[in-house]
Amino acid sequence: MNTTAQKNELIFGYSSGNLGEAKSLFTSMYLYLNTFAAKKASIFENMLAQNFSELEGVKPKKLKFTDCIKNPNVNKDIPNSATNPVSRIVGNLNNINWKTIYNGFKEYNIPVNDKDSVKLIKMDPGTSVPLHSHNGKEYILVLEGSFCDEYGEYNKGDMQINDQQIKHNPTACKDDGCVCLSITENDVVFFGKFGSILNLFTFIKSFFK
Amino acid sequence: MENTKIIDLVRRVSETRDEIAFSEIFDFIAPKINAYFIKNNLSIEQSEELTQEVLSTIWVKAELFNPEKSKFITWSFTIARNKKIDFYRKNKKNDVNEEDIRDFLYENNKQDDFETESIINKITQELDQNQKKLIKMSFFEQKSHKNISEELEIPIGTVKSRIRASLNKMQKHI
Repeated sequence: MNTTAQKNELIFGYSSGNLGEAKSLFTSMYLYLNTFAAKKASIFENMLAQNFSELEGVKPKKLKFTDCIKNPNVNKDIPNSATNPVSRIVGNLNNINWKTIYNGFKEYNIPVNDKDSVKLIKMDPGTSVPLHSHNGKEYILVLEGSFCDEYGEYNKGDMQINDQQIKHNPTACKDDGCVCLSITENDVVFFGKFGSILNLFTFIKSFFK
Repeated sequence: MENTKIIDLVRRVSETRDEIAFSEIFDFIAPKINAYFIKNNLSIEQSEELTQEVLSTIWVKAELFNPEKSKFITWSFTIARNKKIDFYRKNKKNDVNEEDIRDFLYENNKQDDFETESIINKITQELDQNQKKLIKMSFFEQKSHKNISEELEIPIGTVKSRIRASLNKMQKHI
């Protein structure tokens, strides 16, 4: 699996503006935390802007510059760019109304208008998720702390992309656990001892969607 | 127009609300913005409406432009792109009343655009005309792979593999 290409796809999609709400939020947070990714986005944005500067202009027929000065509908709010994009939407991560899924594992769904769903995941130190794979793709971004699985250790600002071929067993780091932002394109498939119960749970849950 | 000249015009707008300076910015950038919306398949009327919104944003938010971090052309391109996203959102049937979370994003690119200039030059030198055209159609004009394949009369698989190859070439430099 070529993860770099998949990460680039997100970044380039973000720069050109063709991602849905869930992936836009996710990628915005990724660029906020990861300087290297932000640099890539800047490169791609400037390349697109080069296309823009080379465009042969089409003079507006009716519009005059005075119409733009006297436009009452324009939004004058200036967002505070010092706050991270997730906190701008859900507030302080410490004050979130987390929903406990099982001991040591909590979730918070961020409401979005999108076919993809995006949620925050909080794992207490040492908590692990049973071995599972994914029907669709799953994107995980570490916001605080770290986790590790069969493929390595993931720290703040690191992103992991999982698809059907990946089976993994992530465990939150022993010292401070972790908070992640996650997008799932489809439900997760669990394996092992508790696997069948959790699969049944996601199966039942699918009726209430 | 020279970037230094436009920087001075934007500064005059933000500091003294200079309408003459703004009219010069308008003459320079409005036709490009309008052309961008037309290229993205919006009607003439819609394109002019959105062009008005972009130019109004430039007028009220001129002080947000930081000439030390980015070029004016890139800054105005991102405003136009965001207006386009907004337009498509408002035109989706189901979610007219919902607030789009993307309104909260986009402002946080803390990168210095000038640092990346040499990398961009290297990439543009390496991509050939066909590859540049595909990147432009796919990401700038947001055409689907299917539309590109029809327009250029090449198989859709070739479109996909060529875009992927161009992105891989870019990846080598970043």
